[in-house]
Amino acid sequence: MPDRGSAFTFVDRITDLEAGRRARGRFAIPARLSGFSSCLVAEAVGQLACWVAMSEVGFRRRPVAALSEETRILGDAAPGEILDLGVEIESCSEEAVVFGGWARVAGKPVLELHRCVGPMLDLEEFDAPEAMRADLATLRGAGTPPSRFAGVTAPDLSVTDRVPAQRLRATLQVPDSAPFFGDHFPRRPVFPGSLLLEAQIRLAVQLATEALPPDRALRPARVADVKMRAFILPGQAVELETGVQAATDAAAELTFAATVSGKRVATGRMEIVSRGPA
Amino acid sequence: MTTSEITREEIQAVYPKAAKIMADALGCDVEQVRLDASLIEDLGAESIDFLDFVFGLERAFKVKIPRGKIMEDARGDLPEAEFEEKGHLTERGLQRLRAYLSEVPADRFRSPMRVADIPKLFTPETFCKLVARGLRATKADA
Repeated sequence: MPDRGSAFTFVDRITDLEAGRRARGRFAIPARLSGFSSCLVAEAVGQLACWVAMSEVGFRRRPVAALSEETRILGDAAPGEILDLGVEIESCSEEAVVFGGWARVAGKPVLELHRCVGPMLDLEEFDAPEAMRADLATLRGAGTPPSRFAGVTAPDLSVTDRVPAQRLRATLQVPDSAPFFGDHFPRRPVFPGSLLLEAQIRLAVQLATEALPPDRALRPARVADVKMRAFILPGQAVELETGVQAATDAAAELTFAATVSGKRVATGRMEIVSRGPA
Repeated sequence: MTTSEITREEIQAVYPKAAKIMADALGCDVEQVRLDASLIEDLGAESIDFLDFVFGLERAFKVKIPRGKIMEDARGDLPEAEFEEKGHLTERGLQRLRAYLSEVPADRFRSPMRVADIPKLFTPETFCKLVARGLRATKADA
């Protein structure tokens, strides 16, 4: 599996790990990328928590993204920079892990995750436990070679319905194949929740430009009450919807939802803020 | 076990707020969250919803509800091997579960009962009782 450990892996060294409690790690964002989104930063923090949880339960189970109370996006991480990552585990069992975490660049906070809950599923369904153990040993030693992550081509979003400044609907077509599926996950390809959130943010920013004063650069500041209800599989068409709940001159509060074949697969809220004049 | 010690008043005290949290998690009307509804069979809840309930209830009531608490409390001091065998509850295990989930109508228990089917028994009252127990523990610690 050539993409395993490289196509969607965002921890390249674990510098400190206290089983079931906390960890510190890092990821060198490849300089050749054109950008590195906040959702991928959040993915990196989640992956570090995943290592702590898997090692705590002897690699029998692994967590998957499900609930997140709040993600605060505090700054940008750019290609060529080093992400410092930290996680604190609130609880970890064979059933679920509850954690919070952060990412910093050169000592400056860029992202915080507060109270995330990941249900633990059988690791064997997703990857080879022995290979994961070996990966952890490498990460805790010298680390992995520089990441071969080549970026992700954002899936197409086709707007299907639009009420200006109020609501936007679009279809996201998940590709049948993509390098990240080889890593997420080797035995069971699943569209990453972080990429779904990235698409929801794109849509929300598009809608917020109509709800906020014109000629402002916008950015996501907060994503809250996220709930991933089901896996999204290769080739599926996902209907995305976002709606403005409130807006001031400086910020817009939006809700978002994703459905597949009429079944709701994800919901949440986000805040889009103005950075100032574009 | 302390299940039977939770009073009707304690349940009613937490029910309105708990029902709202469960309705939000399920995306249904709060009126549908009757105390005796089967969360899975009547309200379409999935396992992720149970985690969401616990998450929301802990936050709203400022209590700790450890994951896996229902099974752990139902089993009590019974060794695991005497509670379940090859994925099914033993007779003693079933007795313990009936006693612990006393709010669940008797006809919803099956014999033999698969451990994997236990969540089908859960009702909003099951979660109200977890909160009430958590509140008691918090008071006891204070």
